[in-house]
Amino acid sequence: MLRVSAKTTNTEINLQGIAGDQAAAAQGIEFGAELIGFAEALALRDDAALQKARTTLRAVAGEAVLVDAAGVAGNFQRMVRIADSVGIPVDDMQGELGQSVRQELSLEQFHSAENSLNPVS
Amino acid sequence: MAFDYENSVRDDIGDAHRTYWQALTKPGNWFTSAQRVAIAAASREATDCQFCADRKTALSPYTMKGEHDSSVELSPVVLDAVHRIITDQTRITKQFVDGNVQNGLSKPAYVELVGVVVAMFSIDEFHRGMGLPLEELPEPGDGEPDNYQPKQAVIGTGFVPMISPQGATGQEADLWSPDRTANVVRALSLVPNAVRDWVALGSAQYLSFEGMSNFTQPEGRSINRMQIELVAGRVSAINECFY
Repeated sequence: MLRVSAKTTNTEINLQGIAGDQAAAAQGIEFGAELIGFAEALALRDDAALQKARTTLRAVAGEAVLVDAAGVAGNFQRMVRIADSVGIPVDDMQGELGQSVRQELSLEQFHSAENSLNPVS
Repeated sequence: MAFDYENSVRDDIGDAHRTYWQALTKPGNWFTSAQRVAIAAASREATDCQFCADRKTALSPYTMKGEHDSSVELSPVVLDAVHRIITDQTRITKQFVDGNVQNGLSKPAYVELVGVVVAMFSIDEFHRGMGLPLEELPEPGDGEPDNYQPKQAVIGTGFVPMISPQGATGQEADLWSPDRTANVVRALSLVPNAVRDWVALGSAQYLSFEGMSNFTQPEGRSINRMQIELVAGRVSAINECFY
């Protein structure tokens, strides 16, 4: 979805932001570094880092951005658990865009890749 | 009033959270309201469970024996499922889900359980992100589960039966349109209300189905789609979610 939205807006981005590279996250995305800092601290359950990241995001981007970022982060804490709890495979494993993203981010190393690489039937 | 947020939090987020709290006060299809609230409470305790922390580092998560840290009265199989979904979801297998059936947790009940756990988690994680205290759980309501399951759910995707992309018909016609669905939308469709719950929460915290087709600046959001997907992608990556 990130790549699709970047293509739609003709924005050059660096997907390594997804992998945690703050400089890459900032490429083409306003507050990118602060947003992944916040997302990362929340998902890693690092309370001290989360407090710091929240303060930073609020200071540079404002309260409304913090609210939306917290909403999205909370939502994806849910989505990943829906996907893995019932073992759903990726909808389109053959899609060129998805393949390139999975390759660039080395996603096949994840345990849950099994649900898509060898789906149950 | 529950979820009495300050003005900075969008009204639709508070509305969605209150609506879910109301849903917890009613019986589901497979659990009473008291059981649903207990599952919600157990989901909160999972993140501090020492057994879960130890098991997370084990090479095989299915051979370790131990007891979960919990103050909630739930059967061991239900409690274990709740804790795994929160703390070690990437290693949940079909064998685990099938094995639970042998131990009294049917697949539709498992799906309802997943629905409660993940809805709770998304609300609680929003609070944690904002630095807000967690909302007090609601008092359970009366009533019995009706054991409803959609006849059109079929085996074929993932560990549990689901409604096919074209199968959202009859009482389930509101779940999705055939041209706008995905496996993650269908995932909990063995319990249709679990889908309705997460779509409502997702529409407030992330995007509505309509909003998902906007790849530039979704209406009513202070961050653009790239910013939204950057946060979503980083959270997913840390959770090692391939999907």
